[in-house]
Amino acid sequence: MADPNRRMIELVEVGRAYTRADGQAVKAVDNVSLTVPEGEFVCLIGPSGCGKTTLLQMIAGLIEPSSGAMVVDGKEIDGPGRERGMVFQRDSVFPWMRVVDNVEYGLKCRGVGAAERRSVARDYLKRVGLAHVERAWPRELSGGMLKRVAIAAVFANGGRVLLLDEPFGALDYVTRHQLQDVLLDLWEEPGRTVPTVIFVTHDVDEALTLADRIVAMRSGVIVDDIPVRAARPRDTDSLLLPEMVAIKHKLLGHLGLERAPGRAARSGSAA
Amino acid sequence: MAGGAGSLTERAGVRAGPFSPRWPWAARALSALDPLRLAGAALFLAFWEAASLFVSPIILPGPLGVFERAATDFWSAPALSYFGLEDASLAGNLLYTAENVAIAVLLGTAIGATLGLLSARLWFVRAAMDPVMMTAGTVPILIAAPFLLIWFGVGRTSAVSLVTFYVVVILYVSAQRAALNLDPIYEHYALTLGADRRQMLGAILIPGATPEILGGFRIALAGCWGLEAVAELLGSQTGIGKVLEVLAGATDPQGILATLLLLGSAAILADAVATLVIARIAAWRAPAG
Repeated sequence: MADPNRRMIELVEVGRAYTRADGQAVKAVDNVSLTVPEGEFVCLIGPSGCGKTTLLQMIAGLIEPSSGAMVVDGKEIDGPGRERGMVFQRDSVFPWMRVVDNVEYGLKCRGVGAAERRSVARDYLKRVGLAHVERAWPRELSGGMLKRVAIAAVFANGGRVLLLDEPFGALDYVTRHQLQDVLLDLWEEPGRTVPTVIFVTHDVDEALTLADRIVAMRSGVIVDDIPVRAARPRDTDSLLLPEMVAIKHKLLGHLGLERAPGRAARSGSAA
Repeated sequence: MAGGAGSLTERAGVRAGPFSPRWPWAARALSALDPLRLAGAALFLAFWEAASLFVSPIILPGPLGVFERAATDFWSAPALSYFGLEDASLAGNLLYTAENVAIAVLLGTAIGATLGLLSARLWFVRAAMDPVMMTAGTVPILIAAPFLLIWFGVGRTSAVSLVTFYVVVILYVSAQRAALNLDPIYEHYALTLGADRRQMLGAILIPGATPEILGGFRIALAGCWGLEAVAELLGSQTGIGKVLEVLAGATDPQGILATLLLLGSAAILADAVATLVIARIAAWRAPAG
């Protein structure tokens, strides 16, 4: 089981600067410090361009930070690694591998035997509802099905940290909600250590449905860090709880969609 | 399937619907025989026949005579031995040319694709190879023929190395472009799944670049036949190019056209086979068209 006292992800004054074409230095991520205990589901929310994807890619090891320290599971991040699985915003499933080969690719990389990895892959394909298309080519699947493949692959690979970069952003309303359920079911799967999740989104309701904790970013800095204590599973009514509505107002304020962020607290206490 | 026992389609022996042919390759071959293209070929032949009625056969022999000549000389053309050819048949010389093309295409693809892929990922390979390949790509390769004749003599090696060089240049460029065009998300994804550099090469870079490399392969293959023939024409004792040289010396336009007809047919056949093989290898891609 996950140990909430164990620090899984530790970011200390992490920054990422780059030089724009016109020569001006820009800080995509500026002095961000964040500690995430094991098993926590964190949603990272913010307007586009706020640095949330850059931060996620630095944790994944795909981008090097220009300053600061990043430690995952007690080890300094030094490039990508299988203990930090990632689901990308765009489709990343390999089009030249059949669905089942995609799901078992991570296991294959570290030399798991063919029979064993096939059975693991089949198990996860079943859980995401894709057992019937294991021999299909990715081009034959819909966008939602491709996301299911990516999720199955990342869970089959058994990473202790899962990084998801607006994975459901391009999907329709119904598919998005189905996939949120699929993700939570796998995350809470009994009998294994609950993975630590950082889920980037700009959808406030999605964050409220999924997260234990919502971190809001703007212009490269963390502007808010809100625990979400509502019980799971969260349905439509959960999102109407006064505390949830209060959080929603705050988040909308951070996204620049609410004129006075201060109003959030008032409407929350009045309800 | 619609209809009960004894339905029209069943009696006619039609098992699968029109959208799922039982022999997909046969359906593809049939659809390749586009009626418009067939009409174009027929029109060309008619025009040729008509023109040959007004022109002396020394200038333009008629199509029928050319086809007959190709058929009779295919297995045995004793006249060729008078001119010092080792093999006195069009088939034998065509086989020699085809062998050289096959060797050059396979060797050139292996070298060119490997260098091209490496050049897209290792800057020093690119720095070393790009100037050579880009220069070679702009200069007509035939100017190297005299050098190759000096180095390798009139045997197989001269012609094969000339054609190989041509294939290497085309495949280098197409493999490099394929690797540079490959969406970096696949390599990033593989890295987060735990792939190392070697695994990335085998599972991501090579399969991801393969369709575009095979596209370059087809272009190279199409160009090889003519280049090989010209290389033989410039210095060889065997091969279709040598046959053409001899026939030109003997002022035999019918023989030349018959030989060209066979060379063209061989090229078309090779391209058709390559297309089928490529469709198989790149089955994961959406079918073209």
